[in-house]
Amino acid sequence: MPRQPPLSDGAGPWTERVLPTALEHIRPAERDVLERLGELGYSDDDRFGVRLALEEALVNAMKHGNKMDLSKHVHMAYRLSAERAEIHVADEGEGFDPGQVPDPTCDENLAKPCGRGVMLMRCYMDEVTYRDKGREVHMVKYRRP
Amino acid sequence: MPDADNLVRIEDRQGVKLVRLRASALLTEEEVETVGEALLGLAEVPGQRIVLSFLGVTHITSVVLNRLVLAQRRLEESGGEMRLADIDPHVYEMFTITRLDRRFRIFEREDEAVASFLGRAEG
Repeated sequence: MPRQPPLSDGAGPWTERVLPTALEHIRPAERDVLERLGELGYSDDDRFGVRLALEEALVNAMKHGNKMDLSKHVHMAYRLSAERAEIHVADEGEGFDPGQVPDPTCDENLAKPCGRGVMLMRCYMDEVTYRDKGREVHMVKYRRP
Repeated sequence: MPDADNLVRIEDRQGVKLVRLRASALLTEEEVETVGEALLGLAEVPGQRIVLSFLGVTHITSVVLNRLVLAQRRLEESGGEMRLADIDPHVYEMFTITRLDRRFRIFEREDEAVASFLGRAEG
């Protein structure tokens, strides 16, 4: 269950999962989402973007949020419809300030190995919102007609 | 740690190291680490020239991009370079979004990338 559940707005129930902090749990979690998106008619492009953003969010939560602490968990919730995919990922770490992540596309940062995950999430999803001091990220993708 | 032979295959093409990834998606820390170590190992040779082929790779993450950036930086420090080839359109878009297409010379096919190091055009 998300530590701060997304607001209910009548768009349907959330599916919630609690993942141990171990990277091997990411693929099964994303597989459920992608299969459902396929059933709902999302394009390959849309599903590629959602998969990438979800994976980045889960990896960030486990590695940077929970710092691979096996005693901590990642809380994932999603709500998928033919119109939009909403995904919520929360960790149990200390949080971070997304505004302080350097822009990896600046010339001076192109050779640095950081900042690309957050940037890719923003590029491939239509909405990306951080809450709870960066411990939670809420993402929305609208299905392309 | 996964066996590197299961994830990468390395050939020598007239002094150019052609590295082919053998997995369609790289996610686990161990997989990325293994590929990264293979590239960094090659980068230890001064002036090393590497072509990394993404043929069949349909999914990567920023972790992989960051590993490539590190390997390229190491190569450049010793006068070498890594060029990329056979990149899936979705994956290529990740390079353009992050502007890493400015850090790497990218070719449609591995033969073209190898030829570019050898100073000849590949028809």
